[in-house]
Amino acid sequence: MELKKEPKVTKQLWYLTIKNFKSMIRELSQLIWIFGYPLVFILLMRFAYGLETYNIFAPGIIILAPIVLISQLAGHFADEKESGTLQRLITTPVSRQTILLSGLFSQLIVAAIQIVIMLLLTFLFGASFHPNANIFLLFFIPFLVAFTSLGFGLLLASFVKTASSAGGLAWFIILPLQFLGGLLTVPIIGFIPTSLAAEAMGAVMIYGSTAFVPVGLNLIWIAVWGVGLTVLGILLFQRKTAIL
Amino acid sequence: METAIETQNLKKYFGDIHAVDGIDLKIPKGSLFGVLGPNGAGKTTTIRMLSTILHPTSGDAKVLGFDITKEASEIKRRIGLCPQELVIYPRLTARENIHLIAQMHGMAKKDYKERTDDLLGKMNLLDRANSLVKGFSGGMKRRVNVLMAVVHEPELLFFDEPTAGLDPQSRRVVWDFIRDFQERECTIILTTHNMEEADDLSDELVIIDHGKIITQGTPDELKGKLGEGDILEFKIEEIDQRDEIINRAKTLDFVRWGKPVGKHRIVLNALDGLRRVSEIMDVVKVKMEDISVRKNTLEDVFIDLTGRRLRD
Ligand SMILES: Nc1ncnc2c1ncn2[C@@H]1O[C@H](COP(=O)(O)OP(=O)(O)OP(=O)(O)O)[C@@H](O)[C@H]1O
Ligand SMILES: [Mg+2]
Repeated sequence: MELKKEPKVTKQLWYLTIKNFKSMIRELSQLIWIFGYPLVFILLMRFAYGLETYNIFAPGIIILAPIVLISQLAGHFADEKESGTLQRLITTPVSRQTILLSGLFSQLIVAAIQIVIMLLLTFLFGASFHPNANIFLLFFIPFLVAFTSLGFGLLLASFVKTASSAGGLAWFIILPLQFLGGLLTVPIIGFIPTSLAAEAMGAVMIYGSTAFVPVGLNLIWIAVWGVGLTVLGILLFQRKTAIL
Repeated sequence: METAIETQNLKKYFGDIHAVDGIDLKIPKGSLFGVLGPNGAGKTTTIRMLSTILHPTSGDAKVLGFDITKEASEIKRRIGLCPQELVIYPRLTARENIHLIAQMHGMAKKDYKERTDDLLGKMNLLDRANSLVKGFSGGMKRRVNVLMAVVHEPELLFFDEPTAGLDPQSRRVVWDFIRDFQERECTIILTTHNMEEADDLSDELVIIDHGKIITQGTPDELKGKLGEGDILEFKIEEIDQRDEIINRAKTLDFVRWGKPVGKHRIVLNALDGLRRVSEIMDVVKVKMEDISVRKNTLEDVFIDLTGRRLRD
C-alpha cells in the first residue's frame, strides 16, 4: 500500500466550505431564520408603519441581515464540537486552521446571497433607491458588516458548548447591535458597527452619496471592527478548542 | 515481523479516573488485534490516544513507527478511525459523507468516486446513497460510519465497537467487511465487548479491565488456559451458601474450578459437563435453576480473571 501524496490545503478548504454550505441551506429552520427575521421587519415597517417610515428604515433592515448570522456561525462550530464531527475531521490530515477558515468562508457565502436577496426584497416592497446609488457600495457595506458578525460569532462560539445555547445567547449580541445601532429606531451609540453601517447605507441608498464622510470613513471603521473582532475571535476560539 | 503499534506504560487520567492505567502493547503489522473489555475499561480512551485525538497523561506510543504526540500528522495520513458513536453529518447524503473523508485525505476524485460506490454496494446502501443521512435507520447510519473510516484505504484501521446496536444480520455484513480488510495486509484494531466478535475476528487479543491489560493471547490460547472442560452455569437461591456450594462441587474430580458470578449464579468448569450434570446436582444438594452448559468462551476467561461478566 503506497502512501497517497500530501493533500492540498486549498482543496480541503474548498470541500469543507461546500460541506458547511450544504449543511446550512438544507436545514429549513436555518433558512427561515436567515431570511425570515429581516423579512419580518420589512413587512412590519412597510405595512404597519407605512411607506415613509419604511423608506427611512430600509437601509437599517439590510444591515440587520448579516447580523443574524452571528448565531449561525457560533451554532455551526458548537454543532461540530457537540456531534464529534470536529474530532472525526481531526483524525484526517486537515488542520484546525483549515476547518476554522472553512466555517468563516461558508458563512461569507451565505452572507453574500442573503444581502443580494435582501436588497431585492427591500426594492420589491417599494423602498426608494436614489438613482445614483452606487450598487457596489450597496452590497459592500452590509458585506463588511458580515465580517464583524464572524468575529462576534467566533467569540460566542468560544463560550458555548451546544448549538442551542449558541442560538439563545446570540440574542444578547444581536438585540443590542440592532437597537443601539438604530437599525429600527434612532441610533443610540454612534460608534458600533451597526450604527456606522446604517448611516453609510442610508447615505448611499437614499442620497446617492459616495462622500468620504459618512461613507468612506464609516467603512474604514467597520473594517477595523471586523478585523479586530475576527482576529480576537479566532484567537479565543482556537485556544478553546486546542484541547478537545 | 514489523510492528504497527507499540506502547509503553501508556496512561490517561481524567482527574481521579484512571481511564488507561499503564498499557503495554506490541501489535504486529497485518494482524487483526482485538481489545475486549467491559464498559468503562478504557478501550475508547486507548484508541483515541493512538489515533492522536487525545494526549496521553504519560507513557509512549508509536503508531506505524511515528510518535503519537510529536508526529501526529504523519499518523493521520495513514489511519482510519471508526468511532464508537455515530459521527456523521446528518444533512449530507451517505455518498457526500464518505466523499468528504476521501477529500480530506487528498484522494483523486475519480478514485474516491469509484471506491465509494463500491463500498456502498458492499454494505447494501447503494440505493440510498443520495439520501440525507438524517433519515437513515440506526443500522444504516452505523454502516456509513464504518465506510467513512475505510474509504481512503488506510494502512491501519481502528474500529471502536463497529457493530454495537446492529441486528445479527447486519453484524455479519460488517464482520465480513472487516475480514475483507484483513486479507489486504491492513492492520486492524478492533474494540468490542462482544466476546463472539473478539473470538471470531481477532488473530490476537488483549482483555482489559480498569485501564489495565489483564491477559493477552490468541483466542484459542486464552480459552485453552481455562482447561479442556465445558462451562456449566446455574442459578441458586441460597446466596449465603455460595462458597460452600462451590467447594462441594469441587470435590468431584472432573470439576476443575468454580466461581461465583453476580449474586445468584455459579460457573463451574467441568470435563464432560453435560453428561454429568446429575452428579453435580447430587453433591451440591441445593436446587440448581436455569442450568446451561457451553464450550469455553472468552467471557469465561474474563469471569475467571475478574469474577464478573463482560456485560451487566
Ligand atoms: N473525556 C473524559 N472525561 C472524563 N472521564 C472520561 C473521559 N473519557 C473517558 N472517561 C472515563 O474513562 C473511563 C474509560 O472510558 P472509555 O470510554 O475509554 O471506556 P470503554 O472501554 O470504551 O467503554 P465502553 O465499552 O462503554 O465504550 C470511564 O470511566 C470514563 O468515564
Ligand atoms: Mg468505548
